[in-house]
Amino acid sequence: MKDSCSRPLKLLGKYLDGEATDQEKELVGNHLRECQACQAELNSMKELRTLIATPVEEAARQEDFPWVWQKIERQIRAQEKPSWLQSLRERLSLSPFLRRRVWVPALAVALLVVAAAPFLLKITSSPAAASVVVYVESQTNNVMVYESETGPETAVVIWLFEEPGDESSPT
Amino acid sequence: MKKSILLITLVLILSLPLSVTALAQVQARIRIIQASNTGTTVDESLRDVYRELGSLFNFTSYRLMKDLDLNLVGNKPQTVPLHGNRSLEVTLVGEYKKMAELRLRIFRGGTTVLNTQVRLAPGRTVIVGGPKHGDGVAIFAISAGF
Repeated sequence: MKDSCSRPLKLLGKYLDGEATDQEKELVGNHLRECQACQAELNSMKELRTLIATPVEEAARQEDFPWVWQKIERQIRAQEKPSWLQSLRERLSLSPFLRRRVWVPALAVALLVVAAAPFLLKITSSPAAASVVVYVESQTNNVMVYESETGPETAVVIWLFEEPGDESSPT
Repeated sequence: MKKSILLITLVLILSLPLSVTALAQVQARIRIIQASNTGTTVDESLRDVYRELGSLFNFTSYRLMKDLDLNLVGNKPQTVPLHGNRSLEVTLVGEYKKMAELRLRIFRGGTTVLNTQVRLAPGRTVIVGGPKHGDGVAIFAISAGF
């Protein structure tokens, strides 16, 4: 090879791929018409490419690209889908109410109300439930339970009936 | 945030024993009254009892025999001696919906003649009566404060 071959040789790959500029194409074309060595180089490059391209094209023809693409799409979707925790965090972080952290004092107030409920109820609840008799029993005497429900106050009376014979002598 | 949680936990812990032991102690007032048809005296301090019993019974006289204040502690019975070998036993057995639950037992000699359990709201009165007392009957007006 001559010194004049070095530049066209460097451009042979681009020339073969059709990527050379018009100026480069002219330079390589003119050189190839005069240089048999470079023509041989170009031919060997073409043969090599044909040799590689044939099995690749054959494999590509046999490959089911739509199926492969579906598979890839599924994998992309699986990777893109966030976990429930991530989506919850995203939703919470999107809420302007929660972003302001108002929920911290709100939760504290709610818990305080729950804690203070027994005291509040004790103060505010009216003694609506009046006196109540849970049970009355006597194995020796008759007993009466009287509950009047008239008026605001309920009177509860438990009465033990003693017979004259029940009277014990005073001590 | 951590400080808030600590504060809330502290409040909850402190509030628990208060609510549980709220009724560990109850002041019970027991008025022992003799109701009879001898005379027409109604003691001034018994007007509230007379208002409830006057329409129910035909007694013409209500006399206050004893006015006792008992400091009741959970499940520790206190006994009040009565006329004619009788006695009244009062026990604080617990709390139910803001009411003190009292067990009342009347003994005659060694026998239990009445066994009852009542729930008393603060300031309310339950009347237990019937045992003979001289020429009339004994009436117990029992109220609780807590």
